[in-house]
Amino acid sequence: MKPSVLLLPILIPAIFGALMFILPRKARHTVAFLVAGINLALAIALFRNNLIYSFPWFAGKIEFALRLYQFSGFIMLSAAFFAFLIVIYSLNFMKGKNLQNQFYAYILLCIAMANGAVLADNLLLLLFFWEGLLLILFGFIAIGRPGAFKTATKAFIIVGISDLCMMIGIALTWMQAGTLTISKINLALTPMAGFAFIMLMIGAISKAGSMPFHSWIPDAADDAPLPFMAFLPASLEKLLGIYFLTRISLDMFKLAIGSWISILLMAIGAITIILAVMMALVQKDYKRLLSYHAISQVGYMILGIGTCVPVGIVGGLFHMINNALYKSGLFLTGGAVEKQTGTTDLHSLGGLRFKMPITCACFLITAASISGMPPFNGFFSKELIYDAALSRGMIFYLAAVVGSFFTAASFLKLGHAAFFGKERNELKAVKEAPLSLLVPMIVIALTCVIFGIFNYLPLNHFIQPVLGARLEGHSYAGFHVNIVLTLITILVLAGAFIHHIFMAKLKGEGLKAADDIRYAPVLSQTYDLAQKRFFDPYEIGLKGMNVFSRILWAADKGIDWVYNSFVPGVSYGVSKGIRRMHTGYYPVYISWALVGMFAVLYFLRK
Amino acid sequence: MNSQTTISLIIFVPVLLALTLPLAGKISLRLRNILALGLCLVPLLCSLSLIPAALSGKTVTLGRELGLGINFIFTADALAVFVACVSSFISTLIVVYSFGYISHYHNQNEYYSMVVLFLGGMMGLVFAGNLIFLYLFWEITAITSWRLIGFFRDKYVVERADKAFLVTVFGALLMLLGFIRLFQETGSFDLLVIKEVVKTHPISNLTIALILAGILSKSATLPFHTWLPDAGVAPSPVTALLHAAVLVKIGVYVFARIFVATIPLPINWQVIVPVIAGISALVSAGAALIETDLKRIIAYSTISQIGFIFLGFSFGNSIGVAGALLYILMHGLAKAGLFLCAGIVEQNTKTKDITKLGGLIKTMPVTAMAFLLCSFSVMGIPPFGGFFATFMVMTGAVTSGHIIISMVFLVGAFMTIMYLFRTFNMVFLGEPKAALVKEGSFVMVATVAVFAALSLLGGILIWWPDALAQAATLQMLGTIR
Repeated sequence: MKPSVLLLPILIPAIFGALMFILPRKARHTVAFLVAGINLALAIALFRNNLIYSFPWFAGKIEFALRLYQFSGFIMLSAAFFAFLIVIYSLNFMKGKNLQNQFYAYILLCIAMANGAVLADNLLLLLFFWEGLLLILFGFIAIGRPGAFKTATKAFIIVGISDLCMMIGIALTWMQAGTLTISKINLALTPMAGFAFIMLMIGAISKAGSMPFHSWIPDAADDAPLPFMAFLPASLEKLLGIYFLTRISLDMFKLAIGSWISILLMAIGAITIILAVMMALVQKDYKRLLSYHAISQVGYMILGIGTCVPVGIVGGLFHMINNALYKSGLFLTGGAVEKQTGTTDLHSLGGLRFKMPITCACFLITAASISGMPPFNGFFSKELIYDAALSRGMIFYLAAVVGSFFTAASFLKLGHAAFFGKERNELKAVKEAPLSLLVPMIVIALTCVIFGIFNYLPLNHFIQPVLGARLEGHSYAGFHVNIVLTLITILVLAGAFIHHIFMAKLKGEGLKAADDIRYAPVLSQTYDLAQKRFFDPYEIGLKGMNVFSRILWAADKGIDWVYNSFVPGVSYGVSKGIRRMHTGYYPVYISWALVGMFAVLYFLRK
Repeated sequence: MNSQTTISLIIFVPVLLALTLPLAGKISLRLRNILALGLCLVPLLCSLSLIPAALSGKTVTLGRELGLGINFIFTADALAVFVACVSSFISTLIVVYSFGYISHYHNQNEYYSMVVLFLGGMMGLVFAGNLIFLYLFWEITAITSWRLIGFFRDKYVVERADKAFLVTVFGALLMLLGFIRLFQETGSFDLLVIKEVVKTHPISNLTIALILAGILSKSATLPFHTWLPDAGVAPSPVTALLHAAVLVKIGVYVFARIFVATIPLPINWQVIVPVIAGISALVSAGAALIETDLKRIIAYSTISQIGFIFLGFSFGNSIGVAGALLYILMHGLAKAGLFLCAGIVEQNTKTKDITKLGGLIKTMPVTAMAFLLCSFSVMGIPPFGGFFATFMVMTGAVTSGHIIISMVFLVGAFMTIMYLFRTFNMVFLGEPKAALVKEGSFVMVATVAVFAALSLLGGILIWWPDALAQAATLQMLGTIR
């Protein structure tokens, strides 16, 4: 294979994505489908190849360098897989919606940018594609329901700011490593390199949607078109964010166990798991609930990679692909429910299991996976992460397990409220979703099962080769997880189940099963404040920025006052004084002239 | 046609023939418009024809000895050609836009002759190889900008024009003192001679401070910046010309010419200049977040971006200097687009207050998209040109080891994203607050669309402008440092 073939996965979707704005209405579905298919075929063909392609780009020393190897091939393949499924799903889902040409254009451009970011072997090139996704993010959300531009702006500002941090990180890395070529960078963790790492990490975890860069995701769940949620926040952005986090932690910086960065990463992971899942628990909307899980699950991946032990990194990466699967699957079931019933508000849903049996089955499988129930894929990746977390500190393990408990509880609540419980009268006429919505869901649900039962397939072919020699010959495939930890997991899940059944009986309906936690003392007030966005870092940032700007504004006005009032005032005052001297009397003028002459003579003496 | 003739055409065609425009206007308006466009095209095409020579690193000089240490020298090196191309190109497009915008107003004859003279002054300044001529052309632009800002003759408009004139001329006089001191210290006004002399004789701090005062006042940098937002009372093509193409770029150009290419900035000034620029960038970005007048917001944005250009030039390392040059280009394109979009909005809605606007994207889709795309370029989002310029400027600062200063600018870049989005959302999105108006005239909308498209192309085809910027950098710094 010629190395220049690496340009194809970037150019083909980019060109057709740009064309999509002007293509006729009829052609765009076919084109989108074909391009997504070609991209998938390309990704499959390229997988497992090792290619390097580069040519001088600009500024004399910056290269347009692409590198395909195991890891980038894997991420590209996964992204292409999800893109293809989402396009199939959208063919029906987006029917009759406005601005479809923009929608498909963004999907294709998104594929191009993602492929570019993954293949890039030059940090600036990576940033070019990475930050380019911002535009697509903005457009994607803005074409949602009216008023969605506010959320789009929020997303743009949050992600844009972290991308700028990444830009500084890249500059710092360049300064220290002397090169922008990713595969040549290998920095020891000096304080300055640590600073560079933090700045790069901000870009990575913000793309993945970790706290504190998360708060646009739940809003986007309300406002953006649903396939967007299943595509970007649920799968693609996780893949990219975790990919880059892994690259910087494993390749570019020598991260050691016990380094402060490792602790920091684990802390971010643990806090994200707990806080986001607590918020998910009390949501009353299908999509919004899922969106908080999209945040919470990132915590597991960051925790896993942050442990810096091979089992944790394998677990984190495995969790990344698993999460992309079940989370986009869950969003797709949410989309099917929205399409068929017209709502995602859990108050007005219920008893859909008979009306939409296949959707319900897909939901059950993916929900079991995300809750970490054996033998689905989520169980195995979470167990690996538990194992690693426990080896680094009990507190991290506890956070992860408690997160699991609440995850299970919130999905029991969601499933109960949407698919089980009493059937509602207004939902009598609901039918099962059409085939093109079902196929992607079924494919994803099946993959969840396969990746669970036959977990050696993804582990041996996709994930473990990424770590290569670091594994020292270990393999984490099959069922060889810690028995004690497994028992604890099962107990926790059973606890969540019993808690749910008990509380649902007590309160009379599934939706209220988590109310004991929602209205617990202290938590209740905290939740009230959180629902009012009191803790939203974005809102806090905006308020702070407003105060800061007012101060600067006052400074600016102060300077302007000097020009508008002070200087004219002084000049008028001085000229008033001087005018008084012009009395018209010759003696006065003559004495001025004499004084001036003496002054000149005084200076000219010697 | 040899290069010497080309240079004299670039400078003297607009300067001398500008005054014939009012006569042409007496004959026919169409003739005057075509002549004005032609007078802009001559410097543009001639500057473009100098690019191949500039790329190969050749310097063309046109000179004559006049005695008294004053010699009549114009030099066309890569830096001059780069800035001349950028300025004349943007000015030409702005003149095209003016055909639509200015056609309803009085004093058009004066307007066109001042614009062309303005451009001619800029061209003369860019190619001047001698401080006296530099000062001469500098003041030509001051006088023309005074007339242009005061285009509408209301009392407060004239006062604002006076303010702009007084502040910039005050700065220019300080700069002239600086030039005289430089003459005392080096014995010449010729930049090439000075360059040789300063290799052995360092320049005193006072001289640098005086020259810098002139530069900062022209480039509207703190504390000499407040005239620029006030100048927003001028017609929009004029503000675009002042902010994007010519006036504020004069300051940064002269900074590059004197303090990068001729006298390498001493170490202590390498801190002072970016600190001033950083404070300027922050203060104006903060003001832009609070301000509610559309044109004042964009004006504050210009002040803020000029800070970034100074940042790139101050450390004298190749990536930063090349980045600053690209920044001049990309910022010029995007900012001209923003101002011209603001002009369309202002002319059609009769208001500049963003709290009274909203929902205009429905009736002005092209203007709205152009505004958004130009905003992306100013924010530095790929694939727009601003991304590369921002990256190179920031990298220049970081690789020079000035981490704290670059963090200040990082905050400035955050604020850029915020105020531009705030502006876009309030003007073009949301609920309409007044009756929706129709899109601007074809020629105006087409011009802003061209600026938006060029901001995008400038990023995608970055290696073309970059080649010239690299050649200029190489020439200015001698070697890649």
